[in-house]
Amino acid sequence: MLSLQNFHFHHACESFLKMTKTTKEFLLKYGIPSLAIIVVVIQLFLVNTKELSRWKGGGYGMYTEIHYFYNQIYIPGMSVDSLVKDNSEMKFTLGHLMVMPNETNLKKAAELVLKTSKKDSIDVQIWKPIVNSENGIYTRVLAGEIHLNKSGL
Amino acid sequence: MKYWSDIQIKLKDQVYLGKLMLLLMLLAYLFILGENQIFWKIPVISVGLITWLLFRNKTKHPIVWIMVFLLLLIDLFYSYYWVANHHFMLIFMVLSVILYSYHNQQRIFIKNIQILAVIVVLASVVHKVSSSQFINGDFYYHALNLGALFKYFFRFFPDSVELANSNTESLKLLHGTDPNLGESIILKNVFPKLRVISVMLVWLTIIVEFIVAMAILLKPKNKWTHLIFIAMIIGVLCTRLETGFMSLLAISGLILCSNRKLSMLYILIILGCIALIITKIGYH
Repeated sequence: MLSLQNFHFHHACESFLKMTKTTKEFLLKYGIPSLAIIVVVIQLFLVNTKELSRWKGGGYGMYTEIHYFYNQIYIPGMSVDSLVKDNSEMKFTLGHLMVMPNETNLKKAAELVLKTSKKDSIDVQIWKPIVNSENGIYTRVLAGEIHLNKSGL
Repeated sequence: MKYWSDIQIKLKDQVYLGKLMLLLMLLAYLFILGENQIFWKIPVISVGLITWLLFRNKTKHPIVWIMVFLLLLIDLFYSYYWVANHHFMLIFMVLSVILYSYHNQQRIFIKNIQILAVIVVLASVVHKVSSSQFINGDFYYHALNLGALFKYFFRFFPDSVELANSNTESLKLLHGTDPNLGESIILKNVFPKLRVISVMLVWLTIIVEFIVAMAILLKPKNKWTHLIFIAMIIGVLCTRLETGFMSLLAISGLILCSNRKLSMLYILIILGCIALIITKIGYH
């Protein structure tokens, strides 16, 4: 009776070890690729919901749309080139707006510009390029706009 | 004849060669990114090199690979939205090498690299198919008219170069104006029937990438899989010198390939890419 119990116990242990081995091998084979898929899914989510450029974020979408370099930040009465010159925080914030032109980044950019300027209020716009291959027309469309007052900070 | 037999012996261990090529590429890549985040990188490099010097034969841990992994993570942490897409691929490949040094099972390592290559190429296809700007040919039309693609072949068509320069100049002038005025420009076609060429390129790209992804997934060792994979890599390099990314795809191909001649071709592509990265002619 005891030996039969032992037999069952050993059999169960062997099955468990075999299963553990199979699971371990499965994890080793597909663990890292699964991480890569998660990164791609997150990037696709950000592209579709947060306006992230397809070029960035680890989703391998480069050369599938016009580069975000052609996006244009327009602040009436101010030069963006002068704003980012020797200002790493500004460069970082406006850079984020270029690569991900959504409301949150527009607000962050406007707040920073307003803080560093002497103006009481500012308008910040982000424009995206579109091209029509049927007639060759290249133009810009407004992707987002914000008006901010110093009193609103 | 002896040279060729020596070379063949060297080409026998494709995993070892792949790791070696990956390390070479990483050194060039990390050297170029070296000046960012030095506050974290200097201690990692110093501790890593000292540990490697003192303990390299006394520990089973892959010290150099762990060091480069940490360096890649630092750049990822600080520049998630700025690093190139192949930075992510590099991280996954290095992680596979680190794991391999613990489990020591070549077939698992090869499977990691195979699936990674499939994911990268397939994700690229998904982006292309889901981007309206790409699928209707507008992206290629725009890039070709500005001379951003096939740059090194453009020089054989001086008229086209002139038109591309003129388009670039018009674009610069447009970007200097207030976008609220609603102005636009008309791009001049650098080649006749450019829209048709653009749409054809779109489908050629999608079809080739999809076939490559499926071939690597289903027949990773097949000679034809590697021939079409190599053709795709060379095609991309002709379009634009994306040497960083293409060297990684070629390293993946090398690890999967068991054909000596094709392995040699992969190695030539990888070393050529590394030379172009170091000399900064190609993108890192």
